[in-house]
Amino acid sequence: MKREKIFLIIILYVVLTVIVLFTLFPVFYTISGSFKTNSEIMAHPESILPIKPTLNNYTTAWKSTDFNIGLLLWNSTYYTLIIVASTILFSSMAGYSFARGYFKGQKLLLTLFSITMFINLGTITVYPFFKILNFLHLGKSLWGLIVVRIFSVGIVNIYLVRGYVNSLPKELDEAAQIDGCGFISIFFKIIAPLLLPIMATIGILSFQGSWNDYLMPTIFTISNPSQRTLIVAITALKSTGSAASAWNLMLAGSVIAILPVLVAYAVGNRYFISGLTSGALKG
Amino acid sequence: MKSTTISLKNANFIKNTKSINQRSQLSSFLMVLPQTIGFFLFTAYPLFWAIRFALYNYTGVVTDTYFIGLQNFVKIFTVDIKYWSALLNTFLFASLKTGMEIPFALVLAVLLNQGLKGSGFYRSMFYLPNIISIAIIGVIFSNMFGYFGVVNSIFIKYGIISSPIDWFSTKPKAMIVLLLASVWNSFGINVMYFLAALQNVPNELYECAKLDGAGRFTMFHKITVPMIAPVFKIILMLSIIGSLNTNDLILVITGGGPAGKTHTVLSFIVKNFVPGFADAKVNIGYGCATAVLTAIIFGIITVIYNKLSSKLSDIY
Repeated sequence: MKREKIFLIIILYVVLTVIVLFTLFPVFYTISGSFKTNSEIMAHPESILPIKPTLNNYTTAWKSTDFNIGLLLWNSTYYTLIIVASTILFSSMAGYSFARGYFKGQKLLLTLFSITMFINLGTITVYPFFKILNFLHLGKSLWGLIVVRIFSVGIVNIYLVRGYVNSLPKELDEAAQIDGCGFISIFFKIIAPLLLPIMATIGILSFQGSWNDYLMPTIFTISNPSQRTLIVAITALKSTGSAASAWNLMLAGSVIAILPVLVAYAVGNRYFISGLTSGALKG
Repeated sequence: MKSTTISLKNANFIKNTKSINQRSQLSSFLMVLPQTIGFFLFTAYPLFWAIRFALYNYTGVVTDTYFIGLQNFVKIFTVDIKYWSALLNTFLFASLKTGMEIPFALVLAVLLNQGLKGSGFYRSMFYLPNIISIAIIGVIFSNMFGYFGVVNSIFIKYGIISSPIDWFSTKPKAMIVLLLASVWNSFGINVMYFLAALQNVPNELYECAKLDGAGRFTMFHKITVPMIAPVFKIILMLSIIGSLNTNDLILVITGGGPAGKTHTVLSFIVKNFVPGFADAKVNIGYGCATAVLTAIIFGIITVIYNKLSSKLSDIY
């Protein structure tokens, strides 16, 4: 009986490990490929490790003018940081207001916001976006998209914060109120510092979302290649005619694009998971 | 008696605060103002805009813009075979993907829930593909399944095939690559969901069943399945909706090819009507009609799913 059990456990580990290896293979292959020359990528794809490892792909990408990694990274960075910061701030404010505040039409507004989860016309809505943004003189630019993202309703985030605020004792607010704090200053002085865990969750989810964003940044930077984000530029390389000769750049770019989320995942693993399960299954 | 004093106190409190009530209403509203503006500008307005222009002939040129009633929809229903084949392909893709990843994820979650050492490590590894950009996944899989890619060369090395396969030359082969990439990307998230559900099943139930002499399979069938059924419903729905909405993966890997056969309905709309992917001059009005129709169809599917699954939960 005991031997049988140990045997079963070993099989279990073997099965899980094999699946993990398959799961990691594409990532590992990309990293390894980014150190191969382009001819080696084409001629010896089966060699898992590079035969003659080279850093050339990275230096080429760094110096290249049409695939200027420095600029692309900068675009990706400010795009992501602005969206993450504004998402954390505005979602927390809204979540707090829906949990503790009251104004006429509050319920109706939350219902309207919630409908955004179910009605989605997809990417065709870029046309009205452009109309509004042209009106604001932003037009088709990465900044235009940033404005759209800053103001967009993040209903899942609102519910996450609202749930979290509801779990905080109301006495906190009341005590602060007696000390003369208004509704808004209660938020910034008392509640916001307590929201840090849920802010981390929201922040990491929105970091992942905006860093990885592909479709909308592509559409918004079509006429402004200098505003492309890293993801957009890597994918654009693939659709150009010279795709076959640019695999090395694409793989090196992919590694650079994956790295920040990978680091974030390694550091903030638990926030990814808590955001995931609480957002989808409890909210 | 006690309750009346409390409510009196409350009334007093409300009276005292009535003067600042107005102000606090205003502050409450100010805090949701940014998203309220966003809701009207970037959700409500685009929605009504698209519904309105679905009833127009609209190419972006003012002189060429006129009301045509339901004609766009009539055209979709009567002539537009490409739209319907993209829709059918979406259903095919979604059912294959869900059919592959849900059982796979459930089995993995059950295995990880056996209290093994290091299951946290496995769990995070399974989830890892999910943090990578869909576009990058597209690039990686295009490379791996390219004519001179690693998959072909490994297959040849081990004698599975004699000459390289052109994975993107026919629809079934291209769909295999798309499905693999898509499942690879998202099975981990379902493992997470199932694990969370499994860990919510109280251990006492299993202990009682063990005392009664129940075997592993009986316990799984009689305890685990009914206990996670409500969450299972949600997980399945999320997976179905997620796969129905697949578009960027297809745009990056196949671009809809060969000959537009691997398009899902959303990638079809993007490829045909959205700037940067479509031709310079398109009938935006018609594109709006396809988007509105698609939203309605997906809405109906969600409603049907909820009806069906609540019937199913009567059985369990």
